[in-house]
Amino acid sequence: MLYSANRLTKEFKGRTILNLEQLEIEKHKIYALIGANGAGKTTLLNLLAFLVPPSSGKLCFDGQNGMRSGKNMLDLRRRVVLVDQYPILFTGPVWKNVEFGLKVRGIAKAIREKKVMEVLELVGMEDFFQADAHKLSGGESKRVALARALAIEPEVLLCDEPTANVDEENQDVILSILERINEENRTSIIMATHYLAQSRRLAHYILMLEHGRLSERNELFLTPASLA
Amino acid sequence: MDLLLDSLKSAFLLFFACDQELFSIVGVSLKVSAISTLIASCVGIPCGFLVAYSSFYGKRLLLTCLNTLLAMPTVVIGLLVYSFISRRGVFGSLELLYTQQAIIIGQVILIVPLVTTLAIAAVSKIDNRYRNTALTLGATQLQMAWVIIQEARYGIGAAVIAAFGRVIAEVGISMMLGGNAKGFTRTMTTAMALEYDKGEFVLAVALGITLMTIAFGINLLFHFFQGRTHVDAV
Repeated sequence: MLYSANRLTKEFKGRTILNLEQLEIEKHKIYALIGANGAGKTTLLNLLAFLVPPSSGKLCFDGQNGMRSGKNMLDLRRRVVLVDQYPILFTGPVWKNVEFGLKVRGIAKAIREKKVMEVLELVGMEDFFQADAHKLSGGESKRVALARALAIEPEVLLCDEPTANVDEENQDVILSILERINEENRTSIIMATHYLAQSRRLAHYILMLEHGRLSERNELFLTPASLA
Repeated sequence: MDLLLDSLKSAFLLFFACDQELFSIVGVSLKVSAISTLIASCVGIPCGFLVAYSSFYGKRLLLTCLNTLLAMPTVVIGLLVYSFISRRGVFGSLELLYTQQAIIIGQVILIVPLVTTLAIAAVSKIDNRYRNTALTLGATQLQMAWVIIQEARYGIGAAVIAAFGRVIAEVGISMMLGGNAKGFTRTMTTAMALEYDKGEFVLAVALGITLMTIAFGINLLFHFFQGRTHVDAV
């Protein structure tokens, strides 16, 4: 099992954002995380990315305790990467952003350069190699953020609304990339999304969040009303 | 008015003639101010980062204390350090009094709160997504801190420049701890005070012009860095 969580909660200023009795996520699958605004999708993704600790409960990753600290936490975080709904790019050129994850891992420059070009070609952004990262459009920024995440070849890719605020053409590009990395690299993907059609296209499983609680369905019998 | 105009005229002549005494005084000022700014930055910037990124009990009180220290008069700091490094002080045996090191110690104490509070402000403005992005891409805490400092570089640069501007123009610490020894601890501000006492206005005016020119240059730099902070924010 990739993730297993038991009685996982997250509170913020006295309010319970997330309250999961049990959660199990398999390796090498694509999960679509669906829920209304404020359902707790982003909070769950941040927990799974080990960016925030839970308020209570247990979270295991690949059989390891996901709630340790220090070097162990760093090791876990280096196997999982989260791409934000509104990703932020570091000041500087695109290539510097994409190589960041490789650089912090001490990967040699020659290998970094090769990998950066490879992933930029994968997301169709090779012409923006030297471009100022802060001058990109929303769709371009998302693709660069995705390239930045893919450069480090994570075991798990967490995406928060990967196609939100992106035009149809870019949406298709992004979804195709996710499909491809799951098939070729066996990367596990958990993506929060509002788009049912995308879930149908990509996901092996659906995770439905309602007011911070989980109900899981494999098949989609959801009416639009039930997503409100 | 004649006095001022005559003094101005003579001061410019002194300046363009590259008067040795003038340049020696300016050199001492720049040296001690630069060293104290460097030391204060090495202390204040990491402290500012830690305070900005930590949650702890008493954080508000600490910030209040830091803001209070910004208003500490230079003569109070001078007196405090004097009590430690004078012959009867705890560190009297180190014979630091009336040396450049003593001025540096006093000036560091003066500007560490300034650098720290401005660094806190600069780092706090940085979007938290930078932190999370660096961490999720596998950065260690130190690597993440470096990312934040890079993103806040203009604000931090403005903090360093403001600190330098503060120390190069102060007189209390330099006078009390430096002793105004010619060619050794005589800074622009202490020299101006001395020349005024002697009734010799030419050198005082020349030093005043130099100090104002440096202060103007510092302010230009400060506003440049502040402006870049706003541009980056947009």
